[in-house]
Amino acid sequence: MNLARKLIFGSMVLVGAMTAFAADNIKIGLQGPLTGGSSPMGVSMRDGAKLAVTEINAKGGVLGRQIELIERDDEAKNERGVQIAQELINKEKVVAALGYINSGVALASQRFYQEAKIPVMNNVATATLIAKQFADQPENYVFRNSANDTIQSTMIVDEVIGRRKYTKVAILADSTNYGQLGREDLEKALAAKGIKAVAIEKYNIKDVDMTPQLLKAKEAGAQVVITYGIGPELAQIANGMVKLGWKVPMMGSWTLSMGNFIDNAGKNADGALMPQTFIQEGNTPKRTSFIAAYQKAYKVDRIPSPVSAAQGYDSVYLLAAAIAQAKSTDGPKVREALEDLKAPVEGVVTTYNKPFSKADHEAITLNMPVIGKVQDGRVYYAYDDDKKRGAEIRTKK
Amino acid sequence: MEIFLQLIYSGIALGMIYGVIAFGYQLTFATSGTLNFGQGESLMLGALVGLSLVGNIHGGPYLNYWLMIPLVIIFGAFQGAFVEWIGVRPAIKIKSEFGWIMSTIALAIIFKNVAENIWGKDDLKFPSPLPESPIKLFGANVLPMEIVVVVGALLMMAAVEVFNRKSIYGKAVVATSNDRDAASLMGINTSAVITFSYALSSVTAAVAGVLVAPLTLTGATMGAVLGLKAFAVAIIGGLNSGLGIIVGGLILGIAETTTGFYISTGYKDVPGLVLLLLVLAVKPAGLFGKMAIKKV
Repeated sequence: MNLARKLIFGSMVLVGAMTAFAADNIKIGLQGPLTGGSSPMGVSMRDGAKLAVTEINAKGGVLGRQIELIERDDEAKNERGVQIAQELINKEKVVAALGYINSGVALASQRFYQEAKIPVMNNVATATLIAKQFADQPENYVFRNSANDTIQSTMIVDEVIGRRKYTKVAILADSTNYGQLGREDLEKALAAKGIKAVAIEKYNIKDVDMTPQLLKAKEAGAQVVITYGIGPELAQIANGMVKLGWKVPMMGSWTLSMGNFIDNAGKNADGALMPQTFIQEGNTPKRTSFIAAYQKAYKVDRIPSPVSAAQGYDSVYLLAAAIAQAKSTDGPKVREALEDLKAPVEGVVTTYNKPFSKADHEAITLNMPVIGKVQDGRVYYAYDDDKKRGAEIRTKK
Repeated sequence: MEIFLQLIYSGIALGMIYGVIAFGYQLTFATSGTLNFGQGESLMLGALVGLSLVGNIHGGPYLNYWLMIPLVIIFGAFQGAFVEWIGVRPAIKIKSEFGWIMSTIALAIIFKNVAENIWGKDDLKFPSPLPESPIKLFGANVLPMEIVVVVGALLMMAAVEVFNRKSIYGKAVVATSNDRDAASLMGINTSAVITFSYALSSVTAAVAGVLVAPLTLTGATMGAVLGLKAFAVAIIGGLNSGLGIIVGGLILGIAETTTGFYISTGYKDVPGLVLLLLVLAVKPAGLFGKMAIKKV
């Protein structure tokens, strides 16, 4: 055999081995924005999920098979999300999916998983409607392990009205599904406390000047600005407040922990408050090893979006546990297993003890997230009390 | 009153950003009757090249902010000449009415994709050369950088005007814009003048890019919205009136901020576009434009 033939033969053997290997893999689809304004969340979520997959595979996988992530970039666009869902279902034949950062994308495209009877684990998107979108159908394939907007807006309102005793609040929300659905939840949570926002303002993605919105809030006498948006525009809000020489606390949904908010706002970001399911602090052995593994694998000190990374990581373990319990990759069986997980699943955010039931597809409850605060380019516990009790695992109630 | 002043300031800063980009549309329209629809992308490329030189994304900072501007000017000139050479010259040669529209749009998309690959798709922070704390001016706040944008834009337009009126090369540009065929018969190399006008137009866009970048965020998608708004300004003001561009920019900028405050932030883009439609319906050459009579 001459060299060329040897090479061809060798590569054929290799390809043959690889396809044999691939055929046995459990394919899980992963979709999220890996580029653009919400990419810190998408990339961290993917990287967290990859860590979990590597760990599981190193221990022999699930059902004796390796897990393979098929990742796709939905660019935070609804129409891309729809295309990807169809591709993952029909072409890649995934057995389950995880991801969704942007609520709009989730709401537009998860129906394809529902129709195909494939479980989908929303690990970052927060719109309250997401887990309930198909709640009226006999079988709901949509699960979630992120803190939904009802939880977040309740926490925000508890913080500004309950703890800090402010009475005049302004809401600044972007014009996307995420911002507007969040604004509705916020208004509801405020109404429950008998308070009406003094200013409710809207802005578009890519807006470069927030002066009118902030001036209206200022004129209305707002004592605190509550935001619902994503990193780059949130930075414009923080910078705009400094420009107007108007200093009131800024509090908002968990996106205020995004790297591109913190970096673009610089020192203007200091003091921003937001609900967090996970703070990058190694206060339990599981969290310490997770943070160390993330930093080592991706050569970063600060995780771009720690919450997304942690929830991405946990979502893989939840799915893997369900597949193991179902002893099958069949969609309906995995769904049944998820709704009745027998053994607790140890994750980074919490230990999931019966996280889901037939009626309840939300793994995170109001008692679990804490308030985080931006300081010097990092997110820390806002309160010493939470920090001290940080090692306590808060389980679902 | 203080509020109104604050809105006016922000409106002026925003309007001058639009105005200076619109000025770029004007430059090429005067000489060749064509526009570079990728003006927003020229701005974006200028800002990103500037960021590579003064920021730390490509191992920098290599230069300080003010020394970087001449390099960005050179880059802009080449970028503009490239657009003319690839996209516009073939269309002018065959006297195509619409070829240049498609080719400049196509080039804009290509530039955006190239930028996404080199600089990524994320918005980046452009280090500000001036302090980022506001100064008080008659009771309302302005950022030092906003003043630089307004002054820089006016200076740039003035420089081009002076060049056109005083220098022999500028006179060639004016002659070409008045009558391309006659200028050509007088021995002016009109094709070189058109290339030059494209280079100049991209230079203004690129400089505008590094001026506004510390105020906005910098990224591959920053040009699209700005380019579009500037186009509206060029139409409102008139494609052949320098004064029109400034007034048009100010109208649109101030309309945006005041509508946002006094009516609703949800509607802040509406008045500018309504005005655009009105102008097109009532005075299609723009508020300050001269009606061109097309002889057939």
